[in-house]
Amino acid sequence: MTTYKSLALRGVAAGGIAGVASALVQLLVTEIPIRAALAVEEARAPAGEEAGHSHGGEEELVSRGAQVVGGMLGVVIVGIAVGLVFATAYALSKRWFTGSTPFSRSFAFGAAVFGAVALLPWLKYPANPPGVGDPETVNYRTALYLGVVVAGLVIVWGASWLAEQLRAQSQPVRTTAVLLAVAAATAVVLLAFPAPPDTIPADMPVNVLWQFRLSSLAQLATLYVGIGVVFGLLIDPATRRVKASEKAAVA
Amino acid sequence: MTSPAASLSAVRVPKWAFAVSVLGLIVTYLVLQENGLALGASSGLLHEFFHDGRHALGVPCH
Repeated sequence: MTTYKSLALRGVAAGGIAGVASALVQLLVTEIPIRAALAVEEARAPAGEEAGHSHGGEEELVSRGAQVVGGMLGVVIVGIAVGLVFATAYALSKRWFTGSTPFSRSFAFGAAVFGAVALLPWLKYPANPPGVGDPETVNYRTALYLGVVVAGLVIVWGASWLAEQLRAQSQPVRTTAVLLAVAAATAVVLLAFPAPPDTIPADMPVNVLWQFRLSSLAQLATLYVGIGVVFGLLIDPATRRVKASEKAAVA
Repeated sequence: MTSPAASLSAVRVPKWAFAVSVLGLIVTYLVLQENGLALGASSGLLHEFFHDGRHALGVPCH
């Protein structure tokens, strides 16, 4: 496990596996509130009117069935791409829980990435089902969303930097200091970024909205924490030693 | 088993690794965010095809 290529290939595999798991969560869980939200949206628009975005209207560009399959495929592709970037960041990281096993490092890294690029943006700009976003504000909302993602990654990087700076301190003191710094930085990000620009339309049921948001969060956790867990399983020598001993036992 | 720190420093990251990472980010962008900036006319199809995944992963959408 000493070449970048071997790590990158395992990143792709981990991303693909976590992506498939996340896509299954989408099919079985997230699609339920998406269907409910599409029904609300369809009831809203008079027939024939194009709102600039075809969510299962009459003149749709892509059928609903294709959107379900395409959405799942998209999650798998994103998983593979993120897995590749994850593996590269892992290979580059020289101070991330250096005393831990590769599995623990990968798991903690996956959890941190989830916090930075999924949980933090979710807290500030909660995911919305179809029929909520205003097309007029989509570019502004995207810029805000990406800004929070970048801020989250800076917090993760800063936390590992701070932990390195405090290595002379005892472990409890260091952990407490890093946690306080992360909490403070998170609070600053949540307060500094402007509120979501769109109001939730009155005809969107609150339970559909929140079922969607929690489903989305579950799916994001499956993807990012899943990449950390599967990548850790694939790179940790401990898992390979088990296989070798099993072979020895059989032989 | 060698110490984790030792196996860490043994990983040499080649320059093309950064190109690979950028490719990963571009793919992520195309799937989650393509609104016509990069691909123009064909983007509508891509945008609609990946529609459910974009919503499900919490990315802003119309």
